[in-house]
Amino acid sequence: MSNVDFTDVRLSQQSIAGQTVPVALVPRIRTQNYFAQVPSAFKSLWKGMKLTMWYFLHPSTIVTKQYPENRATLKFPERYRANLQLNQDDNGYYMCNGCKACERACPNASIIVKTRKGAVTGKNELDAYVWRMDSCTFCNACVMACPSDALRMGHEFECAVYDRRLLIYTLNRHAGPTGDQVAKLDEETRKQVVLEKRGPYDGPVPLAGEAYPNIRPIVLPGQATEQEDKV
Amino acid sequence: MHEIALRILLAAGDPPKTIAERATEALPTDPLFAIALIGGAMVGVLTFLTLLGLVLIYAERKISARFQCRLGPMRVGPHGLLQTVADTLKLLCKEDIVPTRADQAMHLLAPFLSLGATVLVLLVVPYSPLLHVADMNIGVLYVTAISGFGVMGILLGGWSSNNKWALLGAMRSGAQIISYEISATLALLVVVLFAGTMSLRGIVESQEAGWWIWRAHGVGIVSFIVYLIASTAEINRTPFDIPEGESELTAGFHAEYSGLRFSFFFLAEFINMFVVAALTSTLFLGGWMPFHVGNFTAFNQVMDLLPGGGWFFLKVSGIIFLLMWFRWTFPRLRVDQLMRLEWKILLPIGFVNLLVASFVVLYNFYLFPGNN
Repeated sequence: MSNVDFTDVRLSQQSIAGQTVPVALVPRIRTQNYFAQVPSAFKSLWKGMKLTMWYFLHPSTIVTKQYPENRATLKFPERYRANLQLNQDDNGYYMCNGCKACERACPNASIIVKTRKGAVTGKNELDAYVWRMDSCTFCNACVMACPSDALRMGHEFECAVYDRRLLIYTLNRHAGPTGDQVAKLDEETRKQVVLEKRGPYDGPVPLAGEAYPNIRPIVLPGQATEQEDKV
Repeated sequence: MHEIALRILLAAGDPPKTIAERATEALPTDPLFAIALIGGAMVGVLTFLTLLGLVLIYAERKISARFQCRLGPMRVGPHGLLQTVADTLKLLCKEDIVPTRADQAMHLLAPFLSLGATVLVLLVVPYSPLLHVADMNIGVLYVTAISGFGVMGILLGGWSSNNKWALLGAMRSGAQIISYEISATLALLVVVLFAGTMSLRGIVESQEAGWWIWRAHGVGIVSFIVYLIASTAEINRTPFDIPEGESELTAGFHAEYSGLRFSFFFLAEFINMFVVAALTSTLFLGGWMPFHVGNFTAFNQVMDLLPGGGWFFLKVSGIIFLLMWFRWTFPRLRVDQLMRLEWKILLPIGFVNLLVASFVVLYNFYLFPGNN
């Protein structure tokens, strides 16, 4: 596009279908004469070849990862988007205040924010933050919509399960001790317990949804009796 | 067996002879040895063909990966060395699917034509002073004719598949190859004029004083570039891969091919790249001739340390790398741009270049005049 001088763009009015419409006039591409085009073609080809040769000679630019082998030392790009996570403040409380901006921003209704009236403050607060990974497209609209920086996109990508229902996460699930139990602990231990990061599931993710509490396993017609025995 | 091997080594006397010449000499006295020579040459060329295909495909995948910031095949064998072997085995084991309404005989014939043309060119390439299967006094003409013969395979394959994409690809290929053949031949003619012979061995030997690419004040360089562009188009490589443009024609002429027949087309494509590189280095870069500079005897002796075959290998690898570099840098041309490049730019340049070359030859106006 170096043949077009974009600084020379002029605004003009044009009458189209009886209406006056503003039109931007871009100068036409300068056509080169026959003899000038051969050296300029070689010049531009050489420019491209130099760039690819630079990549060829710099192995550090290789972006491919040898995934299962380097699982322990895996480094993610800054903006890698895998799973939605709730941010916690310094005291270990979720920063989400239940404003539902993310729910409205979500293009395919993958987020359901349930709120309740706070027992002490009387204000709206977060009850359950439900994220449906099965329908999420990882578009980042929720994170960008959040006014209080309560959301982030994490790097946990090994989320494959055999039961689709296991892809519905409640992000604010607190799997540790309940609040009144925490209150009984001494100051130092309490800080530690509260600051401990907890994921939506603690422990290994069960396959086929068999051993997970509150989730009924998928029962195929032929396997009905066998599955019931296990339960 | 040992005796035959020993005799092949001994027969490589001075001046070096081609395998065909040695077989002709041995025929009246020792027909068995002549048959062994020819049979060995045939088996050797086929083995070379297969190994070359494996190596070139692996190199292409690795080099393209590096150009695109990828790693390429890494899993099968160390650094994916056995990947092409595994792929070949897979291709051999695949079901050979022929479309129901296809022309069965022509569908079968096409890949053989395509590969056959390539093999026939491999026979006349002088690999080293000792290793040269056959030389003929019309070598350049033969190479041009045979590489035109390869288009038949592509056209037949596209036509017989009874598939519109295949037919379109084949027609594009036909138009492209026939157009660019003219420029390629004009560029070859320049070298034929310089060397005064069409025999490939003669052309290599005529470059003892210096390679044709720089001996003729720029004429050689121009015809080298024209030949490189035109032959890239002839072997259907990017940026001239419109006959198989994936985004437009699924796979072009070989859309309806699978299994062994597809692998023949694929192999022919890669061997063609080698053929182009071998011919370019034979005609313009002195083939197996070492790099010599005028009367610098010491320098020339250092250069002679690498045997002729090594020089040929280096030159061919360089050209192949250049072709791969082109492929992974340039975008594909449109059909009208392709035709414009050939008929409006390359062809006039080729004609003018031929004219200038004839004056250079007429007045013996070479750098490093040497023997001729």
